[in-house]
Amino acid sequence: MATAIYLEHYLDSIENLPCDLQRNFTLMRELDNRAEEKKCEIDKLAEEYIKSVRNLAPDQRVEHLQKIQSGFSKCKEYSDDKVQLAMQTYEMVDKHIRRLDADLARFENELKEKLDVSGYESPDNRSVKKVSGRGSLKEKRRPKGRGRKPSDDDSPRKKKMKNSPEFSDSVLPVHPSDVLDMPVDPNEPTYCLCHQVSYGEMIGCDNPDCPIEWFHFACVDLTTKPKGKWFCPRCTQDRKKK
Amino acid sequence: MRKLRKRVGQSRAGGFGRGMVRGKDQGQVGPSSLADTDALLCPPSPCRLNFSTTRDTLTYAQAQKMVEIELEGRLHRINICDQLSVVTEDEMLAQDLTECNSNKENSEQRQGNKQTTSKSKRKDGKHTAKKKSSSQYGLQNQVAHNQTPLPKPTFRNVDTFTASEAPPLPVAYYRFMEKSGEELDNEAEYDMDEEDMAWLEMVNQKRVSDGHASVPPDTFELLIDRLERESILESRSQTLSQSTIDEDAYCCVCLDDECLNSNVILFCDICNLAVHQECYGVPYIPEGQWLCRRCLQSPSRPVDCVLCPNRGGAFKQTSEGSWAHVICAIWIPEVCFANTVFLEPVEGVNNIPPARWKLTCYLCKQKGRGASIQCHKANCYRAFHVTCAQRAGLYMKIDPVRETGANGTTFTVKKTAFCENHSPPGMETEGDEDNGLVGGRGNRGQRSYTLVPSLQQSQNGRKKGSASQQKKTQKNPSGTSRKTGVPLLLVPQIPSFRLNKICTGVSVERKNQFMQRLHNYWLLKRHSRNGVPLIRRLHSHLQAQKSEQREPDAKLQAVREELKYWQKLRQDLEKARLLIELIRKRERLKREQMKLQQAVLELQLTPALVFLRSTLEQLQEKDTDQIFTSPVNLKEVPDYLEFVSEPMDFSTMHDKLEAHKYSSVADLESDFNLMISNCLRYNSNDTVFHKAAMQLREVGGAILRHAQLQALSIGLDPSTGMHLPEQASKHNATVSWWDEVDLLLDPENRVHMCREEQLKTLLDKLDLVASMRTSGGRTKRMRLLRREINSLRHKISHRDRNSRLLNGKIKGEKMDYITSNTDLKKSTSQKVQEPTCPASSPLPGDAPPNPPMFCLEMGRTTTPAESNKPGNRKRRAKGKERGLKENHDQTLEDDESFQDAVIRVSSTENPSDLPKMGVGRRTSVLFKKAKNGTRLTKDKPVLLQNGVSKAENDVSLKQTTPAKLLSAPPAPKSPPPSPHQLRSRGLSTCSDGEGEKAHSSPEENGITNGLKRQSSNSSDSESCTPTFPAHSSSPPKRSRGKPALSKVPVGEDVNGVSNASKETSQNDEMEPLTLVWAKCRGYPSYPAMIVNPNMPREGILHNGIPIPVPPADVLDLGKRRQEETEEKFFLVLFFDTKRTWQWLPLDKLHHMGIDDTVDRLRLMEGKKPNVRKSVHMAYDRAMTHLSHVKENSTFNPSNFI
Repeated sequence: MATAIYLEHYLDSIENLPCDLQRNFTLMRELDNRAEEKKCEIDKLAEEYIKSVRNLAPDQRVEHLQKIQSGFSKCKEYSDDKVQLAMQTYEMVDKHIRRLDADLARFENELKEKLDVSGYESPDNRSVKKVSGRGSLKEKRRPKGRGRKPSDDDSPRKKKMKNSPEFSDSVLPVHPSDVLDMPVDPNEPTYCLCHQVSYGEMIGCDNPDCPIEWFHFACVDLTTKPKGKWFCPRCTQDRKKK
Repeated sequence: MRKLRKRVGQSRAGGFGRGMVRGKDQGQVGPSSLADTDALLCPPSPCRLNFSTTRDTLTYAQAQKMVEIELEGRLHRINICDQLSVVTEDEMLAQDLTECNSNKENSEQRQGNKQTTSKSKRKDGKHTAKKKSSSQYGLQNQVAHNQTPLPKPTFRNVDTFTASEAPPLPVAYYRFMEKSGEELDNEAEYDMDEEDMAWLEMVNQKRVSDGHASVPPDTFELLIDRLERESILESRSQTLSQSTIDEDAYCCVCLDDECLNSNVILFCDICNLAVHQECYGVPYIPEGQWLCRRCLQSPSRPVDCVLCPNRGGAFKQTSEGSWAHVICAIWIPEVCFANTVFLEPVEGVNNIPPARWKLTCYLCKQKGRGASIQCHKANCYRAFHVTCAQRAGLYMKIDPVRETGANGTTFTVKKTAFCENHSPPGMETEGDEDNGLVGGRGNRGQRSYTLVPSLQQSQNGRKKGSASQQKKTQKNPSGTSRKTGVPLLLVPQIPSFRLNKICTGVSVERKNQFMQRLHNYWLLKRHSRNGVPLIRRLHSHLQAQKSEQREPDAKLQAVREELKYWQKLRQDLEKARLLIELIRKRERLKREQMKLQQAVLELQLTPALVFLRSTLEQLQEKDTDQIFTSPVNLKEVPDYLEFVSEPMDFSTMHDKLEAHKYSSVADLESDFNLMISNCLRYNSNDTVFHKAAMQLREVGGAILRHAQLQALSIGLDPSTGMHLPEQASKHNATVSWWDEVDLLLDPENRVHMCREEQLKTLLDKLDLVASMRTSGGRTKRMRLLRREINSLRHKISHRDRNSRLLNGKIKGEKMDYITSNTDLKKSTSQKVQEPTCPASSPLPGDAPPNPPMFCLEMGRTTTPAESNKPGNRKRRAKGKERGLKENHDQTLEDDESFQDAVIRVSSTENPSDLPKMGVGRRTSVLFKKAKNGTRLTKDKPVLLQNGVSKAENDVSLKQTTPAKLLSAPPAPKSPPPSPHQLRSRGLSTCSDGEGEKAHSSPEENGITNGLKRQSSNSSDSESCTPTFPAHSSSPPKRSRGKPALSKVPVGEDVNGVSNASKETSQNDEMEPLTLVWAKCRGYPSYPAMIVNPNMPREGILHNGIPIPVPPADVLDLGKRRQEETEEKFFLVLFFDTKRTWQWLPLDKLHHMGIDDTVDRLRLMEGKKPNVRKSVHMAYDRAMTHLSHVKENSTFNPSNFI
């Protein structure tokens, strides 16, 4: 069966992804190195300061400390850049994934149509059903990560579900999930108060500095996505304190 | 039956070889030789030979040379030219015997051999007949073959032969176009048979009789065709789910699951019987459906084997029309197949000797049912049915045997079957090593058959020994269920809506009824055919469909592969995303770590800075109104610097902090105190600023003390601003016991300490006590401590202020200076007082706790400019005004200003000589100097008396002014201030603002002098006035935190006045006839006038305005109250409509008409609108009164009263 043309296009588009990733990663590494250097510098300065502080006039002290301060601000800059880069990269991959999902959904629909047209309704329906049945079994695990919202902390967080369920539903039946089940990655990041991997619908905390970011609906007593901004229990507490 | 087939092949090969040998000598092969070869190729079954020969129709020529003999019902033809061998009777008997004893197959072989000989004889005969070459074929035909020379072919050329012309080719050919499936689908493929015709005819007859049109056969065919199609579609969807190919299938004849291309296992399409091609005699696989014989010929009736009691398995029909198992026919020696290729029909059932029928199967224990075979072991007579043995898994083996006998090599099969007991020992081992074969076979056999009796019994229930048989069958329920459970091919149910759809295209009258009938007929017909479809093509199509279905399966597979690929891609991306997510998290953590590192380093390098910063922030937090946040705006209050030499605020402190100007908490504290004191100095005590400053001092003090403690415990190095190398020794929190506190509370015990120390220890104790558990003792002591602290503070603040005033900017020195100052004061005050007090004061003991007598605001003049001053700090505004005055009086000599300053200072310093009593009113100083001008004159002599040279000089210099001022008292409230007052005030501010340090020491002296003077003064007044005792008793009240200041000065003034024997003239503050805001409990401040209770009974006129005389009862009440509380009360007359009287203490009274803002605030004090209104009215009245009094104008008593 000839691959749909858009899938070919997709392949073309994804061709550059490894390069981009590589570039971003090298960039990050570079920044990291620079930050490390700066840190060494700072350490030296600090040592120097400790040694000579007794003999320094307040002005000199201030000057010295300012030097350290500037070093730190430089470091902070690097760190921010790195985080920015990481988020950018994430966004990039996420975009690709979303596109692939969409294309696959389309592909699947076309396939279904084709099969329907070709008149092998009963056998194909059967097989599709079978497949989808198996797929649904895996569904619990499958959607993990899928369609995870392009979590960009800096962009104003919209209340977005990590998984657009209708979407994954439409994709799932196509995937003969029996073919491959994603192996559980031991390094998979955990989220939520429960420190579990992501599954099902998740909600993002609207605090950009939230240490956890993502929460399972069930763990925060949600069934539907709330209107307006939502803050996780911890952030709510912190905000109250403020 | 593969083995069987092999054997057959061997025997056939044998025959072939012979044929070939013969073929050689035959030479030219005629047309009949082909048939001969055929015959030779056929398995050497005598029966077949006979059959075939009988069927042959002989030509006349042949018939002439043949002798036909009928022997045992079989026809034998013998050529007349054939030499016949002579066989003796004995030989015949011997042959019969072997036949009887040997296996059937062997005998067959032998028979075949025999037959071949006879046949060859016949053939030879034929040949000879043809060629006319008689030869000595006979018994030793082999020898004859060798001896006779090969016949030579003869031919001749025919000259007269002309090839006839080929007939012309036809112009057109008919070509058969196979119709495509779609085309076929559109036409009726079904052809009616007789049955259908009959049925249709009957139906039509009925219809015609009912008056309906008859249904044409075409329509019938079409409808049947459609029904078939529907059923195919239905069945396809149903049957596809169940796999038709059973991988575990095994042939039920040989129990072998081996499946070769040349010998596949076939399945009956109805009963699913599985047999090898060779075992069931199916030389070629038929197209489409294949049914076993039973299903083909007796589809509806179950059949029973005549040779055994078991059901199921592969059946063949016998020549008699009954049924027998293939396996039974193979094993029972007397029985054979008529056709060994097709393995049918079974023959020789009649030949089975009765003894065999009577054998009892030791397995099924049945006797007389079918024929049994016996164990091949010699001497063992155990009998068993073939199928029973198969089911029981007995040893049954068919071996090809190659026999080399006299007649050359012959191939036979040797069938051996043993009973359980005699199973060869090899079987076990074989079973062990080849469990799958033997053991498996046993099981298979078990599964293959069912016992007939069980069925029969259930049907008839009259068979003997049925119980045991039933038991047996029950033992193998799985086996039975398998075979019997195989259903007949289902006739698919066609849903009614499909039926409707089918007949839509057909126009038949009373369609539904006809359709119903037709459907029923069709169903019956299908049932009668065991569900075999009526249209062959569709059926084969069904099977083709299966293979075709595999094709889309492959397609699907490809799609799946592709999807798999995409999904892998998707997963890779997912992994990448996961990775990046982790990276993102890592980077964020790194950022956090960086920030933490920074914080750590900051703490490491500048812990003091951080600590101080946090302290400062804490302090700033307490400044809720942000009064001290930023520097005082000098544009708003240009005179600020005149009073405050060193402005301070939080932002400045912050800057200093960041510039590392602070090295310890003490530095910070000093600036903080400076800030507070600045504020207190500039702002009068009744402004919000003052209050805020007081509050901040309280709270901030606690914070700073705490910080101090913390700094100590942290161990900060002030020189580096870093931690000390080793941890500071834990600050031992001394447990403070009540005794300790009590000890401290006694002022005597604190004498050795300077005031700051005292204050500090007291505060420490307070903190300690506050942290203790609540108890009566605690609260009491806390109160006492607070009182002590307050008093100490007062003292310190006074001295502080003074010193600041004097010292100006010399901050660093201040402390020492003050301490020395206080020491001096302490020593002097006691000393100085002693000489004066005993002499003048009847209550010398009261002198020390005497309240400071100063701060006379009353005399402060009000000017229009002052009242209009904008700005948030009213006191500043006043300062401004003063500044103006200062400008006005620029011409005044310095000397004068010095003097004035000294005088002022001396006057204000009075309280500081009272050791324990202090009043925290620093700012008031600013406004007192001028007012006290009158007093100055009075004070001066005291100063002189004290003999302080400098002050004396100053005083003497100044003597003229006080003299002038002395005239002022009679009209203390007069709005236009006298030039002297103005001047003196201006001078004072001048000196103040410039902060003349040069005069610090003289002033200091002045202070001490002033103190002495004041004390003496007060003692004087005390001695003179009866009110004084009350006055001296005020301290406890003050300790309650009330600003008793204003009262005290009044008292002082009063005293002063009394001292001067002019009761009203001197006291410009709370003298009678002053207008005040009087505060009664539960009411807002109310305009009132102070009235001298001792006024003449006849009444007085104040500037021509009559003052009401207090009634006697009011006076009595006042007296009583004063006695009770030992406090001085003032008699006030409210400006309400009723002109009520009231006795009030000093702290309830506030001046009125001096400060517009204050007045306005008082006016707004009332919470309810009606109360505010009444206050307003009273105020108006008071103002009118004031204006009347001031103007001396026409007075309207009615207006007033």
